[in-house]
Amino acid sequence: MKKISRLGHEARLGWTLVAPALGVIALIAIFPLGWTFWESLHLHELRMPWLGKPFVGLANYIEIAKDPRFWAALGHTAFFTVVSISLELLIGLFLALAMNRVFRGRGFVRAAVLVPWAIPTVVAALLWRFIFESQGGIANALLVDAGILRQPMVWFIQASTAWVPVILADVWKTTPFVALLLLAGLQNIDLTLYEAAAVDGANAWWQLRHITLPLLKPAILVTLIFRTLDGFRVFDLIYVLTGGGPGTSTEPVALYTFNALLQNLRFGYGSALSVVIFAITFGLAMFYVRGLGVRLGGEES
Amino acid sequence: MRLDRVFLVRSTAHAFLCAAWLLTGCGRASNPNETVLTFSGSALGAEGTLVAKQLQRFMQLNPGIRVELQRTPDDASQRHQLYVQWLNARVGNPSILQLDVVWTPEFAAAGWVLPLDKYGPPRAEFFPATITANTWAGKLYALPWFADVGLLYRRTDLVPNEPKTLEEMVADAQAAMSRRGGPRYGIVWQGARYEGLITGFVEYLGAFGGRIIDDKGEVVVNRPEAVRALEFMRDELYKTNVAPLDVLTWHEEEARFAFQNGNAVFMRNWPYPVAAMSDTAQSKVAGKFAVSPMPASGAAPGGHSTAALGGAQLAINAYADHPDAAYKLIAYLTAPEQMLERAQAVGQYPTRPALYNDARLRTAIAIPLDNARRAIESATPRPVTPIYTELSEILQIELHRALVRQAEPRDALNSAAARINALIERTGMRKLMTGAAKESAP
Repeated sequence: MKKISRLGHEARLGWTLVAPALGVIALIAIFPLGWTFWESLHLHELRMPWLGKPFVGLANYIEIAKDPRFWAALGHTAFFTVVSISLELLIGLFLALAMNRVFRGRGFVRAAVLVPWAIPTVVAALLWRFIFESQGGIANALLVDAGILRQPMVWFIQASTAWVPVILADVWKTTPFVALLLLAGLQNIDLTLYEAAAVDGANAWWQLRHITLPLLKPAILVTLIFRTLDGFRVFDLIYVLTGGGPGTSTEPVALYTFNALLQNLRFGYGSALSVVIFAITFGLAMFYVRGLGVRLGGEES
Repeated sequence: MRLDRVFLVRSTAHAFLCAAWLLTGCGRASNPNETVLTFSGSALGAEGTLVAKQLQRFMQLNPGIRVELQRTPDDASQRHQLYVQWLNARVGNPSILQLDVVWTPEFAAAGWVLPLDKYGPPRAEFFPATITANTWAGKLYALPWFADVGLLYRRTDLVPNEPKTLEEMVADAQAAMSRRGGPRYGIVWQGARYEGLITGFVEYLGAFGGRIIDDKGEVVVNRPEAVRALEFMRDELYKTNVAPLDVLTWHEEEARFAFQNGNAVFMRNWPYPVAAMSDTAQSKVAGKFAVSPMPASGAAPGGHSTAALGGAQLAINAYADHPDAAYKLIAYLTAPEQMLERAQAVGQYPTRPALYNDARLRTAIAIPLDNARRAIESATPRPVTPIYTELSEILQIELHRALVRQAEPRDALNSAAARINALIERTGMRKLMTGAAKESAP
């Protein structure tokens, strides 16, 4: 009896103590989300007050389903996410393995690798734009000198070539972050496993496949979840580099939403787009956490 | 104890009230009989000094009115966004709004700016195109403050005579490019996917006799004239090869750099680069260029020389406290003397044709007055409609798709027309436009 009431008391105290935190979460996360959803059920065009603000149910969502520009944007986002993350994981793993070795100046190398990650995205995007922009730009000059291109090209007027600077910039900027996460994972692996394997005559490739990668899986999955969610929200990089062009062939969903919401001030439709993006990223996060069993911190169960 | 707490609560509340009072500006010692206006507009650098000076003079002439300057972003789309947010909240400040030429119908249809007709504005004293652009449903909602106009820049050392047609312009460009040591580019313009692309397209469109929306409110941007205009622009890139593909990513400044460094025979741009390009310290073409209106096509019977119209307008916030005083200020700022002073201080073109006979203007704007006037007279407003911004976005995308060869010009324009029609339906604009047309009829 006494124990139960004591537990009840503790629980009550616990709730009281976390109440402010819960209140803040409700205020900054749940309330805006709810409001955005409510807004998405209305026709609300800030520029056209004569239309009023009628409740239209799911009309905005139906418009999204029929909107080819939205589906194209979703395709671009998925393409960007898959390609850039694959490259980042591959290169990041390579870097992490290299940095995990014991060598002189390792601390310096680890710090140096992080430099691109420390540069603000907009600045990095402007930098890459400058490299690729004009026919006399650095990228063209290098490629022509190396004999890869016969003459300078205009990168931003074809969808296929406009993606090159976008993906390069993202890989350049984010690989260090990936490498660092993986490096942290590598450092958790017990070195005696390698010693035992070496004694048993396993070569480096076998050690990588059967020790490093399986034990690195949690770190890889955490990296994946971070990067996928980032990839789906990509905005500033593309906004600066291509503006979504040529036409709309590199436009991601976040840029399209920004456009509907803040350029055209279509609050109803833009809110519906935001809700859709939220649902997609939430779904992806659930998939990673539940489906792949990513543990975001905490003990093994 | 209890008393103390009450006292504490009271004094805190009092402090808050005082703070609120100060923040809203009521704390300032003000004359109750004084009318206070707020003016928002371009207020940077030389322009800011000029505006401050003119406002000061206005206050001396009208002792009962005080004008406060409210800073707004200089970037047009940021200012637009801010205005729309304020007006949705029915905020009465700034009492005078500086509108871009394509915003007036939007603000008028939304009821955010007041019609000026009851003040008897001197419509006939302004360029007709600048009045058309500010008229919605038969009423005038803003007065044109200064004009911006699309011009054709030409290297006089390479092409001494002004080309009479677009075809001649292309031929001149080709001839000059093929000369030994001739410039790399024939003609440079603004082809990135942004508003500048529309202004250029409007000029080619007029040159071929096309329109975006006709007088009856029909979308005609996919008519054969329009397709030919777009094909002509595309041919400059891929067939006659006078324009570099780079222009598809260029804005005004990139075009200016190319022309200023002597790399282009012709350039389409606004008047603003004249000053920098006449400066021998930074320009390789100082004294070697001239401007003229964009020519018409020689192959299109309905075509006429067309310049895109830009510039700023002044309008009265519908929620402002003192609309009559606000009109007084607008009338003052758009009066000939102030306009002339503006041209002399910052080189912006007056919107009153009469001023182009004034010798004092000759030294203020760097190009022959006659050319400037001809260009503004051939100016065409972009479609005068409240849904302009979204219409423009649709066109920007489709034009860009055609120019980068993702789509054929005909298909791109058909798609643009279909999407603009859908936009008109979605926004209830069809009814609003026929209503507006009816009210416009005498």
